[in-house]
Amino acid sequence: MMIETLLSGAIGSGTSVLYAINGEIFSERVGVINLGMEGCMIVGALAAYAGAYAAGNPWIGVLCAMAAGGVIAAMHAYLVISRKSNQLATGLTLMFFGLGIAAFFGRNYVSASVTGFQKIPVPLLSSIPIIGNALFNQDALTYLSYFLTPALWLLLFRTKFGMRLRGTGEDENVVYAYGVNPTVMRYIGVIAGGMLSAVGGAQLSIAYTHTWIEGMTSGRGVVAVALVVLAGWSPSKALIGAYIFGGAQALQTILQQQGVNISPFLLLMLPYVFTLVALFVASRRQKQSMPAELKKVIESSSG
Amino acid sequence: MQTKLQSIKSGGMLTGVLKWAGAIAVPIAVFAVFLLCQGVNPIETYANMITSTFGNSYGRGEVIIKSAPFILIAAATCLSSKAGLVNVGGEGQFALGALFSTAAAMFLVKDAPAVIGIAVMALAGIAGGMIWGGIAVGLKVKANMNETITTVILNYIAYELVSFMVYGPLKDPDSFNWPQTPEISEQLQLPSIVSGVNAGIIIAVIFAVAVWYVTKKTRWGYKLKVIGSNPLAAVHAGYNVGKTQVIAMLISGGMSGLAGMLEIAGVEMRLRQTTGSNYGYLGFLAAWMAWNNPLAAIITAFIMGFLFISGNVLEMSSGLPSSTVRILMSIVLLAILWKGKGDKK
Repeated sequence: MMIETLLSGAIGSGTSVLYAINGEIFSERVGVINLGMEGCMIVGALAAYAGAYAAGNPWIGVLCAMAAGGVIAAMHAYLVISRKSNQLATGLTLMFFGLGIAAFFGRNYVSASVTGFQKIPVPLLSSIPIIGNALFNQDALTYLSYFLTPALWLLLFRTKFGMRLRGTGEDENVVYAYGVNPTVMRYIGVIAGGMLSAVGGAQLSIAYTHTWIEGMTSGRGVVAVALVVLAGWSPSKALIGAYIFGGAQALQTILQQQGVNISPFLLLMLPYVFTLVALFVASRRQKQSMPAELKKVIESSSG
Repeated sequence: MQTKLQSIKSGGMLTGVLKWAGAIAVPIAVFAVFLLCQGVNPIETYANMITSTFGNSYGRGEVIIKSAPFILIAAATCLSSKAGLVNVGGEGQFALGALFSTAAAMFLVKDAPAVIGIAVMALAGIAGGMIWGGIAVGLKVKANMNETITTVILNYIAYELVSFMVYGPLKDPDSFNWPQTPEISEQLQLPSIVSGVNAGIIIAVIFAVAVWYVTKKTRWGYKLKVIGSNPLAAVHAGYNVGKTQVIAMLISGGMSGLAGMLEIAGVEMRLRQTTGSNYGYLGFLAAWMAWNNPLAAIITAFIMGFLFISGNVLEMSSGLPSSTVRILMSIVLLAILWKGKGDKK
């Protein structure tokens, strides 16, 4: 029973991070690190909530989230690509900006209730012991993430478009030689990445928690940037980090409900500690799979 | 030929000036439009922000008090950045400094004389910041983990750690269940020099100047510069890159930790969950606004202090939430990022 709750919580809570990891993979694959994912997620969470509230339809909320996250990511893209600003400082500023904007406009939604995504059990599959409930009694955005993750992998690694995206992050001169404008590819990668993360924010607010709280993403966007390394810049491995983080989050809730006498704050620390440990374990292979243009950014990031 | 060169030069200067003017005017205008949309008179608000901060000695004092931690954290960020480290962990290092110095004040030097007690608190604060910075740089040097990401994650861990302490072991039994520590003993509280301003600002400025001196004028500073700007050359020159980065990060963390101690001993007198919330990020951004020049960072940190304090005014006079000033701050920062370093290319 407890295992079931834990697994279910791991997926429910990890899905928002999964979207954000996939989003950051797109951004970093074109050579742009976006610390502003936290900002994209939080405006996504609010826009989804507001959209669902106004329209009475959660899918409209998702569209609003994508638009809002896309705008933040577009600002990042414009500043770092066209204005050549520092990627880390810009991302951090946009994280700050997103948190501020969301806190400001979110005031009116703190006590509002919306029609969000409900859990839809898949017949038969959801009654599989242990994993059935966790995997197949979830909300629509979580189901979507099951399909989206392999689809994004196919897009990145098995299509011409994906090759061009990755090429932009590896060596833009080569892409240029093939007649592709690397600047355009960068914009596409960064903005698409922001939109994906914003869907993660939407999952958090209108599918998983069904509430709007200021700062509710609590570092998930930053954690996603970290977990991209663990995923080796590939959606196929994004699940691992996302669900570990989600599991640590769920464990905290479960232990508290069980009345285990540990301070909630120590438990709240767990997901972040897990993230660091996971990164530490993964650290051996991070160099080889990092996109080359990104390596340049990381190595010349300070002034 | 000569005239052509001159015209290019003056043209460049003109666009430079225009860009700076834009970087200042655009965020003010954008935020004014934002205020108008909220049904708030922007001119009145701006006037309020200035008169309430610089118009009286209390406001001026508040801005100076608030600037001190920003200056220290910004200078700390400048130092580590010279060694090629992007330390966004000022927030957590500050928190650990505040936590350690509070614990020291509660358990080690509760009844100690002022000089010894304050010194021990300062050392504890520095140690706290060093430990937090040390974890990040250790993970970088030993496991090649990117310090930007680890420092941000460590910020979240630090916040939970402080929360745990103020709700748990360090909680004031007489606080009627408020999550805060007891007030530190009276002799440990930094005295006010003029109108409520303590020595924190002087210490912060001294550290900023010291960082400038060390990075610009000493051999070690030169070493940092080589490591930060060209790691490959540094390796060829026989520099121990890892060791130098560790030292730079420990000093940087220690400075942010000291800022935490000064906040406890000079301003808050007790630790709360919210002590120093966002200071680290604002200090980091102040350093970036100054392109990691510690002397320029004194000014940018001061601007941050002004915006921070005037944010409270917005809340009281216009009924806008405190998040409003975060929007103004980020618009200013975005404009500066947009302008870019420009002339130094």
